[in-house]
Amino acid sequence: MPDIRLEATINGRKIARNAKPHQRLLDFLRDDLNLTGNKEGCGAGECGTCSVFVDGVLMKSCLLPVAKAQGAQIDTIESLAKTGELSVLQKAFHKAGASQCGYCIPGMVMAATAALRTNPFADREEIKERLGGNICRCTGYQKIFDAVEMARDVLNGRLPASIFAEVEAEQGDYIGKDVRSIDAPSKVTGRLKYAGDMTMPAMLHVQVLRSSHPHARIVSIDTTAAETMAGVEGVITSADVPGEDGFGVIVNDQPVMARGKVRYVGEAVAAVAAEDEVTAKRALAAIKVVYEPLTAVFDPDEAMRPGAPVLHDYAPDNITKHIPIRVGDVEKGFAESDVVIEQTYSTQPIEHAYLEPEAGLAYVDPDGVVTIVSPDQNITHHRHMLARIIAKPIAKVRFIMSPVGGGFGGKTDMIYQGMLALLAMKTQRPVRLVFTREESFISTAKRHPSRTRLRMGLMRNGRIRVFEMTMVCDGGAYCMSTGNVVHKAAVLAAGPYVVPNIKIDTYGVYTNNTPSGAFRSFGALQAAFATESHLDICAERLGLDPFQIRRINAMHDGAVTHTRQQLGSVSLSRVLDAAEKASGWEAGAPVSRGDRRSDLNRDGIRPPCGLGARFAAADKREAAE
Amino acid sequence: MLICEEYLTPGSLDEAFAAMERHRGRYRVVAGCTDTLPWAREGRAGDMEIPVLIDVVRIPDLRELRTDDRRVRLGAATPIQRFLDDPMLAHALPCMPRCAVWFADDQIRAQATIGGNIVNASPAADATPALIAHDADVELAKSTGGKLVRRSMKLDQFVTGPNRTHLEDGELLVAVECDALPGYGGSFEKVGHRRSLVISVVCLATLVKLDAQRRRFEDVRLALGGIGPVPRRLTDVETFLRDGPLSAARLEEAADMPASLVASRTRQAYRRDVVRGFMLRGLINAARRAGADAGALPPELEAAYA
Repeated sequence: MPDIRLEATINGRKIARNAKPHQRLLDFLRDDLNLTGNKEGCGAGECGTCSVFVDGVLMKSCLLPVAKAQGAQIDTIESLAKTGELSVLQKAFHKAGASQCGYCIPGMVMAATAALRTNPFADREEIKERLGGNICRCTGYQKIFDAVEMARDVLNGRLPASIFAEVEAEQGDYIGKDVRSIDAPSKVTGRLKYAGDMTMPAMLHVQVLRSSHPHARIVSIDTTAAETMAGVEGVITSADVPGEDGFGVIVNDQPVMARGKVRYVGEAVAAVAAEDEVTAKRALAAIKVVYEPLTAVFDPDEAMRPGAPVLHDYAPDNITKHIPIRVGDVEKGFAESDVVIEQTYSTQPIEHAYLEPEAGLAYVDPDGVVTIVSPDQNITHHRHMLARIIAKPIAKVRFIMSPVGGGFGGKTDMIYQGMLALLAMKTQRPVRLVFTREESFISTAKRHPSRTRLRMGLMRNGRIRVFEMTMVCDGGAYCMSTGNVVHKAAVLAAGPYVVPNIKIDTYGVYTNNTPSGAFRSFGALQAAFATESHLDICAERLGLDPFQIRRINAMHDGAVTHTRQQLGSVSLSRVLDAAEKASGWEAGAPVSRGDRRSDLNRDGIRPPCGLGARFAAADKREAAE
Repeated sequence: MLICEEYLTPGSLDEAFAAMERHRGRYRVVAGCTDTLPWAREGRAGDMEIPVLIDVVRIPDLRELRTDDRRVRLGAATPIQRFLDDPMLAHALPCMPRCAVWFADDQIRAQATIGGNIVNASPAADATPALIAHDADVELAKSTGGKLVRRSMKLDQFVTGPNRTHLEDGELLVAVECDALPGYGGSFEKVGHRRSLVISVVCLATLVKLDAQRRRFEDVRLALGGIGPVPRRLTDVETFLRDGPLSAARLEEAADMPASLVASRTRQAYRRDVVRGFMLRGLINAARRAGADAGALPPELEAAYA
């Protein structure tokens, strides 16, 4: 592999260095020059975390073979302001609270810089359009657009720079005050180091061999060829686990790497630590795994039937959790009801898609303490589990939580830290694993897909007499947070409504799908989707306004919930009033009014998405001239 | 991950052909790379080892830009963003800026090339239908016995199916020549799952020239993408509309004509609905941009579709 002799100007400094022909500009900047301000979120040009200026034009450095930078002038996020200073845009991002996890922010700042350089007077629509190649999962974008507009106005002299001055909050008085996030400057400048940005001397690169079978017995794993490859320092399988192999949130049902059998496509089977990523990948290809495919089950209802394939011996019915709730007399409730309405609702698996894919760095410190640095949302629990898995006293295991580039619940499972610990112990060198976006998608937990049968009995005046729900959640191959998710789904299922008779059953079920786990709302979403959709259908059937049917049944201050919790205050009525006002809701039963609707195309309602704001701006400029 | 032993950046056609000859059977030609790198990832081709990559974007012939009253010659390595940045090009090729704004995003457009988009031959390629509407020809070159042999063909003949073209082994797409159409109104209608960075489910390129009174079509050019294995020029609709009024009846009749062309693998009924709406939107938007006389377009259609 002859190296490329690369001569370029990077952030104003001339460089002449060798680069590998397969490197992308992103790799060269991050790995060779330690310019880690620009991130890798997807590696496929979809997310914009890696944007850099090439001869003054913003481009995605994950799509640029490094040879394309030959003779070019490259400017990264690090070029925008001197150390300790912030550019106007960076100040505006800080002021507006536009950075949350921060992982997308260097790319956003770069895209915003490019947008305002191209059109210093860009309006909000044009700003949105010019930032269209950048994804954020935390903010919902509004604060980012606020920040860009603020910077534009300061740069154009329409706003004074004094707006960036800190407002001191009085002691302890923070709510409703303009309090600046203290870690924002490190995020808007790209200086904050996420796990994937960290390196150590003599660090090895880890790659993971993953199952291509949804359910199969592992007959044999032969790592001999991989282990003898030059540059490969360590190969591990479940046979390398010295202690009690198994982790989880509720049940320790998941081995560090597949043990005896694989239960989903994407499950880790073996891992390699090598001098570089390419060698590690080649070593993976040299590992021979013989599988004996087993019948797989992908539908949770089928998985609950007798005779279905069993995933875990301890759960012969594949049920990880069943939560029943019983209130009053359901049969009587249906007998008393004027109408009974039944529907089935389903929701799909959803990926958290935090911009920072999973990454971790591990080493054994001079005192023999196995240390894991990763964006881990549950380090204390994981430390205890890992100590048991690697058979070390708790004092010899340390977890360091690196900045989390978005989690949303998706980084609460210890799915890769175990492999890192084993490889650090085996090689006695620091090891780092950085997931690709695809790896993050196939191997990490998703929001539980659900199927919910909901039967409700109501009086003609809209009062709910009885609520009967059966929800089956697909927990996938491992339990993770399933038990807690179906628990919360059951507790919140009947909503903030007064219902005298209730029967709720929620189930979490093993299947050979990707595991489901913690995700914002934790089961509430699946239940609320069914219950709230159902109330709209009931309103339509009874000729009632959807707001009205909710007000008729609403809990008020002091109400007792279906699981007997006394509520101090209930804000439902205020929420309904605010939603009705904000949506410009036309009172009446929710029947289709088509083009007779008057609540569309008014102020505050966004028109359909389009592109071309820059043409409108150009037309306006032309007209003015 | 795309792994290569050598990454070559020839500075001339001769150098490129020499490299292709030298590495016959073990190279791949690349340009902007905006699809090549994502292609070599899990879920598509997976990790790929290609011994030699030959990057053609530094070849002057492929960066050429020439125009006269009649035709525009674009080197194959012309980046898509150029249609938005170069007022002369926008003036000569009125459909191209409208197409470009929907193409990927600002950053990828700066890197992605028209040649790459054409040769990649995705059924959802955005630039190809717009260039077809501009009556584009492709110019191909190959080195035979040390001599450069060039040939041309119509772009809509060149693309033969998903990822398939008439490009021969050892041949390069050098340039695209298309009609200069100043004074035409252009539109590009596209729908996908999000605004930026999205693959077309349907796209429609439209070019309209009006008569001196700005009340009748003098010329119409239409090309559809995303509806089947290859983009389609809608010559029968063009003939039907040419020299006719901008009346609601004619526009609606024209909008119904291409429904039978929808031959996608999925969602045909949806695409047929979209095509009908896009025909109306495309024709109305292009006619407005061609300077349609106030009141020449049917007001109810203008209100609904413009």
